[in-house]
Amino acid sequence: MSKPKVGFFDFASCEGCQIELTNYGDAAFVELLNHIDIVEFREAMTETAEHLTIACIEGSFTREADRGRLENIRERSDIVIAYGACASTAGVNALKNHQKDFRKDVYGEDRNMPHLYSNDRAVPISEVIKVDYNVYGCPMDKYEFLDIVSHLVHGKEPVIPNHPVCIECKHNETICRYFEGDHCLGPVARAGCRAPCPADGIPCEACRGFVDNPNEEAMEKVLIKKGKLPEARAKHKSRIFTAFCRSDA
Amino acid sequence: MNKYFIKAQDFETFVTKLVEAKQVIGPVAKKSRFVFEKLKNSKELRLDYDVTVLPPKKEFFPTCQPIVKFEGDKFEGCVNVEEKILFGVHFYDIKALDMTDLLYNENHRDINYMAHREAATIVGSNVQNIAERAFFGTVGVHVKPKGHDAFLTKIDDGYLFETYTDKGEALVSFGTFTKAKKEHESNALDVNNRVMGKCPEVLDYVGYESVANKVRKAFNNTAFWEDCAKDCFSCGSCNIVCPTCYCFDVQDNWNVDQVSGTRTRKWDGCLTEDFAKISLGFGAQENFREKRGDRFRHRIMRKTTYLNAKLGGPACVGCGRCSMSCTSDIADPVNVINKIMEV
Repeated sequence: MSKPKVGFFDFASCEGCQIELTNYGDAAFVELLNHIDIVEFREAMTETAEHLTIACIEGSFTREADRGRLENIRERSDIVIAYGACASTAGVNALKNHQKDFRKDVYGEDRNMPHLYSNDRAVPISEVIKVDYNVYGCPMDKYEFLDIVSHLVHGKEPVIPNHPVCIECKHNETICRYFEGDHCLGPVARAGCRAPCPADGIPCEACRGFVDNPNEEAMEKVLIKKGKLPEARAKHKSRIFTAFCRSDA
Repeated sequence: MNKYFIKAQDFETFVTKLVEAKQVIGPVAKKSRFVFEKLKNSKELRLDYDVTVLPPKKEFFPTCQPIVKFEGDKFEGCVNVEEKILFGVHFYDIKALDMTDLLYNENHRDINYMAHREAATIVGSNVQNIAERAFFGTVGVHVKPKGHDAFLTKIDDGYLFETYTDKGEALVSFGTFTKAKKEHESNALDVNNRVMGKCPEVLDYVGYESVANKVRKAFNNTAFWEDCAKDCFSCGSCNIVCPTCYCFDVQDNWNVDQVSGTRTRKWDGCLTEDFAKISLGFGAQENFREKRGDRFRHRIMRKTTYLNAKLGGPACVGCGRCSMSCTSDIADPVNVINKIMEV
C-alpha cells in the first residue's frame, strides 16, 4: 500500500489546531510520517501537489474570495477532512454572523477598514465544498485526528461520536455540574473529547459543536430551571462555539 | 452460613486490617455524591452513603475497558483479573449484580465480566441513608438479593455480620467477632425491614405483572411516548448509571505505528441516537429507533417487561440513579409507570 499523500491548508483560524498536531511530541509525529507523505503544508514547505489523498483543512470560510481556493483543494483531493471547530462548525468565528458591534469593540480607530464591511458570514468548510470527515473541538483532539487518519490509512470508516458529552462524564464518574449548582452545555454537546472540562469542575461549552439532533428547547429550559441562568443568557448561552449549529443560525 | 456480631468500637480495626491485606472497594465521598473506589484506609469508607453515581458493576466491567491488544495479525486478551472485596454494597445493587451475572453468563458467556465477578467477594451493607429518588420499597420486592458473600447491618451498638459463603466466612478472621445473639438478629431484621417503607418515591402499583401488561398495552400509544421524551437529550445518562443495563460498544484503535493497537469496549446506552443505527451494506444505514419517543419507550419496556421471564421480576431495582442523573428530569420510571397505570 503506497503512503497516502496528505496536505494541510488553513483558512480563518488561530492555527491552534496545527499546534495541537505538533503536541504529539517529536517521536510520535515522526512515526506518523512513516505512514503518510506530507506533500503540501504552507507553514512548513513551499511545494504544492497536483493530487492529494487526504486534504486537512483548518479554519472557517469567511470571505467569498476564498471560494476558488477551497474548490481547487476539493478537486485535487480524494478525501477532505475539516479539522478543528472553525472548519467543522465555524466555531467562534460564527459569532460575527449575528452581531455588528465587533468593529468598534475589536478594531477601535481602525473600524472603518473597508474589508470589515463585507457581509460574508463565517461558515464551516462543509457549506462550501463536500467534507468527508470532521474532527471537532477547539482545539481539535490530536488523538481523534490520529484515529480518523489511522482508520483512513487502513481503509476503514472512522467512528465519530454522535452522543452528548454527558455519557463521557458518566463513564468518568464525574459529578454532574448541575449537581454542583452550576450549568453545562454537555447535554447538547458532541462527545469525543472524553469530557475533561467537567472533570475539572468547568462547564462544557460545546466546543465540539452539537450532536446531530440537539434538543435546544430542553437545553434552554434546563439552563433556566437548574442552571439558574437569566432567560436571555440561557437563550444565547450556546452561541460561543455553536452559533452556526443553532437552529437560529 | 453464620451470624456474627462486631462491636462499633472494633469495626474500624476490622476494616483497617482488611484494607491492609486485600484490595477493598467501598463507597467514598466525591464532591456532593458517592462513588465506589479502592479504599486507601478505613476512614474513607462511607457506609452512610445514599447511592453511588455508578453501580458496582463497574468493578467487574469498567466503563472503558481495553480487552484485546493487537499487533498485525497477532492478538492477545489484556484483561487483568484481580481479587477484590466489594464492601458495603446496598441490597438493590446486589439484586442488580445478580441480574447482570445471569445476563452475562448466558449464551455467549462474557468471560471478562465473569472472571472479575468470580474473583470478587461481595459484602453487602444496610441502607443507612436513602437516596432522594429511591423507590426500592415498591419495585420487584419479591426478588430477594442473592449472590453476595456476606451482609453487614448497622444496629445500635455494632454490626450484625452474616456470612453466606466460604469467601464471606474467611473475612471473619480479620476482626473481633462474636456469635450473634437473637436480639442482634431481630434488630437487624427490623432495620432492614423498616428501610423498605421509607423511600421518598413510591410505585402506586406493586404487582409487577400487572404493570408489565399495562406497559405493553401502551406500546402503540406513540403520542404518549413522544410526550414523555419531549425534553430528552438522548444523552444516555439513564442507561449508563443503571445497575441492570449491560450494553456496550466495541471499537478498534490503532497506535501511531499503524500496526499495533487496542480493542476497547465502552458502556453504551439505547437512549443515544446512534445506538440502533445499523449498516445495510453499500454505505447505506438504517436506524430502527430513530425518534426520541421510540428510544424512551424501549428503555421503559426493557425495565418493566422484556426481561421479566428471564429475571423473575422487573429489570429495575429502584435505586433512583436514572431519575437523579436525568438533567431534564424525565427518566423517573415511577412517574412513567404511575402515569401508564392511571389510564
